[in-house]
Amino acid sequence: MSAALALPRGRRLPRGLILGGFAIAVIVVLAVAGPWITPYDPDAFAIRERLQAPSLAHWFGTDDFGRDVFSRVLAGAHYSLLMGFGATAISLAIGVPLGMLAAFHRGWVDEAVMRGVDLMISIPPVLLGLLILATTQPSVAKTVISVGIVYVPIMTRLSRAVALGLLAEDFVDAARARGDGAVRILWREILPNAWPPIIVETSLRITFAILLGSALSFLGLGPQPPASEWGLMIAESRPFIEQAPWIALAPGICLCLLLVLINVVGEGLRDLLDPRMQGRGHG
Amino acid sequence: MTRYIIRRIASVIGVVWLMTVMVFGIVHLLPGSVAHMILGEFATADSIALLEQRLGLNDPLPMQYWRWFSGLLRGDFGNSLTMERPAGPILIEALGRSAILAGISLVLVAIIGIALGVHSAVNRGSSSDRALTLAQYAFISIPEFFWCIVVILVFAAWLGWLPATGYTPLAEAGVLGWARHLVLPVVTLTLGLIAHVSRMTRSSMLEALDSQYVLAARAKGLAERFVLYRHALPNALLPTITVLAIDMGLLIGGIVVVETVFAFPGLGRMLIYAIDNQDLPLMMGGMIVVTSVYALANLAADILYATLNPRIRYGGSAA
Amino acid sequence: MAEAPLLELRDLSLRYATARGMVQALDGVSLELHRGQAMGLVGESGSGKSSLVLAILGLLGKGATVSTSRAAFDGEDLHKTAAALRGRRIGMVFQDPSAALNPGLTIGYQIAEPLIHHRGSSERDAMARAVSLLNEVGVARAESVARSYPHQLSGGMKQRAVIATALACEPELLLLDEPTTALDVTVEAQILDLLDDLRRHRNVAMLLVSHNLGIVDRLCDGLTVLYAGRVVEQGETAAILARPQHPYTRGLLAALPRADHGRIARLTPIPGGLPDLTRPEPGCNFRARCDFALPACAEAQLLDGPAAHRVRCHLADVVAAAPPLEDAAPAQARILPAGTRPLIQAMELTKSFRLGAALSLGFRGGLPRLTRNAGVLAVDDVALHVARGEVLGLVGESGCGKSTLGRLMLRLLAADAGRISLDGEIVPAQPDTAFRRRAQIVFQNPDSSLNPRQTVHQALRWPLVRFGIARGAEADREVDRLLELVRLPSSYRSRYPHQMSGGEKQRIGIARALASRPDFLVCDEAVSALDVSVQAAVLNLLADLRDRLGIAYLFISHDIGVIAHIADRIAVMYRGTIVEQGAAAQMLAPPYHPYTEALLSAVPLVGLKGRSAQRTRLAGDASSVPPAGGCRFAPRCPRRIGAVCDTVAPPLRMGPGGHQIMCHHTMETLAALPPALGQAA
Repeated sequence: MSAALALPRGRRLPRGLILGGFAIAVIVVLAVAGPWITPYDPDAFAIRERLQAPSLAHWFGTDDFGRDVFSRVLAGAHYSLLMGFGATAISLAIGVPLGMLAAFHRGWVDEAVMRGVDLMISIPPVLLGLLILATTQPSVAKTVISVGIVYVPIMTRLSRAVALGLLAEDFVDAARARGDGAVRILWREILPNAWPPIIVETSLRITFAILLGSALSFLGLGPQPPASEWGLMIAESRPFIEQAPWIALAPGICLCLLLVLINVVGEGLRDLLDPRMQGRGHG
Repeated sequence: MTRYIIRRIASVIGVVWLMTVMVFGIVHLLPGSVAHMILGEFATADSIALLEQRLGLNDPLPMQYWRWFSGLLRGDFGNSLTMERPAGPILIEALGRSAILAGISLVLVAIIGIALGVHSAVNRGSSSDRALTLAQYAFISIPEFFWCIVVILVFAAWLGWLPATGYTPLAEAGVLGWARHLVLPVVTLTLGLIAHVSRMTRSSMLEALDSQYVLAARAKGLAERFVLYRHALPNALLPTITVLAIDMGLLIGGIVVVETVFAFPGLGRMLIYAIDNQDLPLMMGGMIVVTSVYALANLAADILYATLNPRIRYGGSAA
Repeated sequence: MAEAPLLELRDLSLRYATARGMVQALDGVSLELHRGQAMGLVGESGSGKSSLVLAILGLLGKGATVSTSRAAFDGEDLHKTAAALRGRRIGMVFQDPSAALNPGLTIGYQIAEPLIHHRGSSERDAMARAVSLLNEVGVARAESVARSYPHQLSGGMKQRAVIATALACEPELLLLDEPTTALDVTVEAQILDLLDDLRRHRNVAMLLVSHNLGIVDRLCDGLTVLYAGRVVEQGETAAILARPQHPYTRGLLAALPRADHGRIARLTPIPGGLPDLTRPEPGCNFRARCDFALPACAEAQLLDGPAAHRVRCHLADVVAAAPPLEDAAPAQARILPAGTRPLIQAMELTKSFRLGAALSLGFRGGLPRLTRNAGVLAVDDVALHVARGEVLGLVGESGCGKSTLGRLMLRLLAADAGRISLDGEIVPAQPDTAFRRRAQIVFQNPDSSLNPRQTVHQALRWPLVRFGIARGAEADREVDRLLELVRLPSSYRSRYPHQMSGGEKQRIGIARALASRPDFLVCDEAVSALDVSVQAAVLNLLADLRDRLGIAYLFISHDIGVIAHIADRIAVMYRGTIVEQGAAAQMLAPPYHPYTEALLSAVPLVGLKGRSAQRTRLAGDASSVPPAGGCRFAPRCPRRIGAVCDTVAPPLRMGPGGHQIMCHHTMETLAALPPALGQAA
């Protein structure tokens, strides 16, 4: 732990972070504005225009019901964002307090939380999702919640490790020597220093959440037709894959693009915030 | 060490048992009757009553759980509702096919991933390192199901080199025919994981290369090749074992998707089939089998880690 | 010297690229080393001393550019032959043996490796040789050590293994980079003896990199002083240390707290900090910190003078003629009249730590069984007291429990047993705000002691508000006053920790502790992480604050020189017990506890080379397991009486003026021990 932890003032932001962040912002705006700016109604059938190749009228072509793929992709963007950010928010909201609690209360609380985490981690993530979704009617909310729960143990473990590291720092002992209360120590000493590593991990978790969420949708365990979730769109395109590959490629490429952008931002944040990446080369 | 292994085996048993409780609990405690779920919303009261009678759904829950759990202990997974035959043999057969897919993929991921990671680390900053880093970025971000579509499109539909779907047993089709059905699923499964493993290997190898003991080995005048493979690599591979164990979880997720798309009759597809058709015994059994396999794979990784790491192998201090 | 030097460097310069630009890490360094000669390379952090060693081995990374006008080993061009010399004719010993040994390979294999590679020995022969090498470097039970992995050995043992590795191919030159810095002082003494032995018997040349002048004086006949990448003084060790001619060397010596000098009023710190190495200074690069500086110092300076004593300073004669900087007037130790009520007092303090879980699953007779894990006693029945305005120095080696004791005194750790009273009032396990205000702490590591996300202002203002000392504009003024107290300008208010140097951060740590106007301060290795020149300034500051504010200190340190300099009374700790305590002057001369004796005689002192003959040496290290019930020091004690030491707890012997020694020997016997600091007491 060194000075590098503090956000370095005046240091240039990594280019990837700026470009990636800007691109993601554009996607978020498009996703929010989707319903108003789509050129066609994403759910409107036009059987006569089915399976048309991309053209000026239909940028990404049309699907087997003649729906405009571009409109559908645009209308579907919010699902991926919701799954990525929503699920990660859930895992943060549960995992970080749990991890902090475990770090502050060594002993049986810590023991109980960590054994629970160990058990959850011993179950393959996709299975946990399947288990929750298999037995109930699938819906967007349930997918988001299941994916969020899957990543709770990882967030718990991370925030506990970060908090334990900080609790061993002398400045926390200095606070205890002043008799500062637990809440103040958590708020003033731990959290301001804990967020950089947690944010870095979170940004990388978002891509995993999107991947898992769209895979579950692809398997039919997410939003139901006629929703234009990208994973679901790809699943529905399979019978026509040879005739009309654009139905699959358009949402697939958009999904990959979103994931790459989030990864770029995540790596940029890591470069900026992770102390291990800085100050290398001191003898 | 023995004590460590005993403790880990105990925790594997614990995890699997807990999974049986969770699977059973979720299936039976969620709102809506199980019989309703199986027969669909238009079932008549009579048929529901009949099914409940047949499945023993009117018994108290602990008794139902015990009936199912003790069956599992005897290797009896109950009868598949849709196929009208014991679920156990179906699952074992499917597991065997999935194991082939997973085994080949894992070996490829380990070998190629480690080799690429080491190459990148040793040639840090070179153009091949930068190219690999870029590729890793891209490949980590591409979901398996999209890969499936792309490789089917390219290799099956356009080029026509390989079959898009299906599976033929080794005995019927011979090695070539058998292998032809495996190529695309394996490629799809491994691409993302290779990127992940090589990325993690690169960073642990870099850490080893920056260590004092590597500097000390160089100061001893050892040949660079020897410094890399005898001093740096073994230490760098320890974290890679953990990464591979974590990737087993991702691999299982991938297998579910890949088997579904390629119509590969393995455990993953079986699971989705069971879920789609509300074949509860098959689904519950499948989940238990997958959990057990994952737990055992993690156990194997932990034991391997402990064996290769003298700090765990010889815990206390001697001399 | 007719013989050609073994190692000859002329005008070695090193530049490497960093984010801030090209750094000139070494600038025109020249040195000669003959067979069997030992040369000390001394400098503070950032002087480039470690880089020089790596440059000789040709092991600097790709970003570094080395240029020389001549670099030769045994007459051959070092640039071309370095790769062939490493491990064969040049051996290397690193600072931290835990990091330098590969955790995945056995000790024996790591020693044998050079033999297999360079000599073509068979693995079996090489392993056998490894065992005998371990024997030669003084490792008992060498065969079992050869089969162990690094994590199973103590630090001293590991460093012996590293030395054995370096010696495997019988090199002519050993490069030693701070070889004892990571070790305890008694273990350090063993390693220094070993190195001295090797040099005498094997005729190995040594280049010893160190920040510690005492070590260099103990081991080396030649000395090179580096400052910010340049050699400022070079020649025979004795000549330089007796009469330094460069202001920097002179400053280093004056800043050094020395155990044999006892309590002196003040050390003389060197003001300022290292110059910016990205913009090399054409003139003297020390002149900004130099008392002697004249306008002519801006001219380039040459390393000049006879081979026995070269100086890079045009004022060398003036410097040499100047009176010694050190204010040799001994300070008055505060000896409190008997019966003074102590400010803070601890009785029967005990604390044990559990290793691992509270309960462990074991197997006995084939049946699983839960057993309660016994703890490790970190502090065992300790009593101590500190009076108002008094400094109690607590000295001991790593792991002896001194930091734990410091934290127990502040109730930062819950004691298992014992009482603490402040001004006669018992301090409860959960002390009230009043106690928190009156008892504060200063930490060792300046990087860890300040919250990286708080400005100086925030860090200093909160305790003022917290304890109701000041608020609003008054608190802001009080922050300025605190900064002034630790001699920092008030412009530092808005700085974050990473914008300050180590010494400045340490001052803020002290200011923060002082904010609540405490009566009692625990200084836990408060100056150990600092360079000598900075350490002197902080020590002076702490001494001044004690005098001005009448604060009592519990001053914890492993450095006997520092303790001897600042403490009024000293307590010596070994494995959780205080084996001796008394007034500072009493502690530094007989009678003393055999451990105190060993500790004192292990300290490498400057200018006292002759004393090594009568030194007491300890075997093993503090991890040697003591017998239950007996004296904890018995397994290592050079003055062990016999079975009584192993079985009976030693009595507390009382001397005059509150001097206490916990030993089976009588005070009279202990009084007859030789003086460990090599001088008549």
